[in-house]
Amino acid sequence: MPETTLPQTTLVSDPHAQLAAQLKVQRQRRERLRNAAAYAVLILIALIMLYPFYWTLVTSLEPTGNIYEAKILPTAVSLRNYAEVFSGTTVPFWRLILNSVIICILGVTFTTTLATLAAYPLARMRFPGRDLIFYSILILMVLPNEAGLIVNYITTIKLGLLAQTSPLADAARQYLAVVLPGAASIVGLFLLRQAYLGIPQELIEAARIDGARELTIWRRIMLPLATPTIAAFAILEFVAYWNSFLWARVMLPDKNMLPLSAGLLELSGTFSTNSRAVMAGAVITIIPILIVFLLGQKYFMKGLEGAVKG
Amino acid sequence: MTTKGRRVSRREQHRIGGTGASVTVRNTLIAYAFMLPFLILLVVYHTWPVIFGSYLAFTKYNIISPPQWVGLDNFRELFADEQFWSGLRNSLKYVLVVPVIQVISILVALLVNRPLRGIGFFRTAYYVPVVTSFAVVGLIWSWLYKQGGAVNSVLIGLGLMRGDHSLLDNPATALFAVMFVTLWKGIGYYMVLYLAGLQGISRELEEAATIDGATRSQVFWNITLPGLRPTILVCSLLSTISAIKVFEELYVMTPNGYPAGSTYSALMYSFSKAFGGDFNFGLAAAASMVVAVVSILFGLINFRLTKGGRSDA
Repeated sequence: MPETTLPQTTLVSDPHAQLAAQLKVQRQRRERLRNAAAYAVLILIALIMLYPFYWTLVTSLEPTGNIYEAKILPTAVSLRNYAEVFSGTTVPFWRLILNSVIICILGVTFTTTLATLAAYPLARMRFPGRDLIFYSILILMVLPNEAGLIVNYITTIKLGLLAQTSPLADAARQYLAVVLPGAASIVGLFLLRQAYLGIPQELIEAARIDGARELTIWRRIMLPLATPTIAAFAILEFVAYWNSFLWARVMLPDKNMLPLSAGLLELSGTFSTNSRAVMAGAVITIIPILIVFLLGQKYFMKGLEGAVKG
Repeated sequence: MTTKGRRVSRREQHRIGGTGASVTVRNTLIAYAFMLPFLILLVVYHTWPVIFGSYLAFTKYNIISPPQWVGLDNFRELFADEQFWSGLRNSLKYVLVVPVIQVISILVALLVNRPLRGIGFFRTAYYVPVVTSFAVVGLIWSWLYKQGGAVNSVLIGLGLMRGDHSLLDNPATALFAVMFVTLWKGIGYYMVLYLAGLQGISRELEEAATIDGATRSQVFWNITLPGLRPTILVCSLLSTISAIKVFEELYVMTPNGYPAGSTYSALMYSFSKAFGGDFNFGLAAAASMVVAVVSILFGLINFRLTKGGRSDA
């Protein structure tokens, strides 16, 4: 709305201009009210979403008191529960953290490597059977796989991944057993294929004319140009591996091998008398994922949208 | 897809793939070498479970001795087992979450789609529950639901509850209490998908309608909502299937169908038959198969309800 540049006298004498000014003030007031209402609802929902986490943090910092009641500020602050979760458990807590870190590193490395490799020929090479493979994978994505947990358990045993020979070899095999079922990610394959299709064909042709081998093209052209997508996918996978607990809990024979989320459930069972220590453990479990999510939020959302659209 | 499996002229070959991309034995081998590690793991952990799982449903199998073909025995046993029926009923009851979650997510998406200051913070805040594990979220909420806990304080304060007992201890309310957690955790996820859908709707159309004198609600019902239809299909499909397959949140918050079997789900039945001590993998696979069939049926119902997700229908 351009401001009226009419002298004040006309404004007063011209009923139309008066009405227009009134309407404008009314509209602005309505808009302000609407925004205020929107903020009220936004804040209310934010409270519902975040308070459970805040409550857990506060309660984990309190040494004593009425544990389960609703609270806004801690009655006292101490790190006793955090010390407790590191010292007073049968399965050492640092070991759970280490397990989660190793599983995530392995998992993210496997999934990204396999998907970046496999997507290249599907996007940028021509060979017999390409479409067949592509469509078979598509069909596989929609087939229901409810029995996955059951059959993968059988497979893991048959592959000898739960065999026991020496402590170090056992540990390595069990880490693999946790990571492998998720290592071939169909979503990742499609995300990367889309990213590769967006890379100019001329670049690849020029490299081929210069006699570059496919592996060189993949490493020198595809990977650098698809980096944003690879980062998005890596973050998605990190979150998935950090959070998965069911598979590990069902299959692992050795409680010392459990990742954090699964170990936490184990603790809540054995630690039922000391919920505050479990809460401290929960806070420690949430922090890394929160940091990764907040730092890589842009990539994460991009990956998520691509994954659903793909 | 560039090729359609037909013969292409040499010139077109050059256009599509350049000199190095002609179909030769060597290039084909290279292509398969690139895909081999992925394909091996895909077959072992995705294809094989589908095939072997379907076969297991018709056998008796406990890992130690080889599978024995028993025909439809497992299914007879399933349908004669009251526990399986109650699990299936609870899984179907869980589908109630779907419409609620969709309506709330659409409203929240509309809300955070406004160009208000600090809106980014709210979007991020709503997404935090999505990226936390059900192990952690389940534990947190089972504490919040405790007698004298935060949830009860709020409900009593609002006059919605008399007497202070945990919702998770009461067979009439336990399943709904867990449903609320599923809802709470899912809103952020669907909000992001609906936001993407909203941004795909043409602003011009909405503005034109407003100029032509359409009210806000008319614009919403006649332009925004039809434009969201494809997104609604995808979202309700995803949430319906995960409702029927509900397991993780129940496993953490109400183990073994606590209280009194009121939170037993169909997939929990399958899980307990396989890993609950009696290693009855055949029966477990049969139960999984029933869950799969039911989720496909509900997927088709979704398609019908949203008219195949066409925005012009």
